[in-house]
Amino acid sequence: MGNESISVIRIHDVLLVTMPADPDDATVAALQERTLEAMDQNDVRGLVLDLSKVEILDSYFARTVAETAQMVGLMGGETIIAGMSPAVAITATELGVTLGKTRTALTIDRALDMIGKQGNGTRPRRER
Amino acid sequence: MNVEDQGEVKIKQEADIAMARRAIRDLATKLGFGVTETARIVTAASELSRNVFKYAGAGVMQWRALTNGENKGVELRFEDQGPGIADVNEAVREGYSTGGGLGMGLPGAKRLMDEMEIDSGIGKGTRVTVRKWRRR
Repeated sequence: MGNESISVIRIHDVLLVTMPADPDDATVAALQERTLEAMDQNDVRGLVLDLSKVEILDSYFARTVAETAQMVGLMGGETIIAGMSPAVAITATELGVTLGKTRTALTIDRALDMIGKQGNGTRPRRER
Repeated sequence: MNVEDQGEVKIKQEADIAMARRAIRDLATKLGFGVTETARIVTAASELSRNVFKYAGAGVMQWRALTNGENKGVELRFEDQGPGIADVNEAVREGYSTGGGLGMGLPGAKRLMDEMEIDSGIGKGTRVTVRKWRRR
């Protein structure tokens, strides 16, 4: 479906992968393929998976996201999931889905800050 | 309890799961459910229609817009002629699944909705009905 496309763009050292609002199963499956292909073709540290447009995260979608992050990890990259809306976070938790050990960020900006760093992307405190 | 409106979505292929979600999103929004309540209903619809497709190959989702006095609600009924569920009580328990899934379809949908009824048995197919009432 035309309006269901996944956008993959490169920002410096990072791939930014944006998911549409309500992807069908084929689009979700394409996430895995397109992401791993893009990782293979670009020399990047990892990817930020932008879920800010996503309106529903069911068990299939969540499992695919967790698996994709695991696969990216095997390839030597890092995945940060960013921008999940409150409604999606509440619903996914009630449904019982988890995203494994995948790191998350409130915003794309924070996620981009976090790539290649440990911790939660907050700016380092100035030394006294 | 009055039925204000009704319709159905046939589930015959994987893409119909997304069709079912869209139909229910439109319905829940029209009935005045908020963003989070709508996400709950749509997620339950997604899990239950995926169950139909995964276990039975095909089936139907029937939806009804309900009123009960001042309350507005939505009812979704999923029906298939698949192999059926041997032990319904077991199937709605946490972590139970025989389909190689994550085992959260039925128990997850139950948590997301207000009411759930399951009528199933080996060789009898499966009918799952869920309801959600709008909070005022």
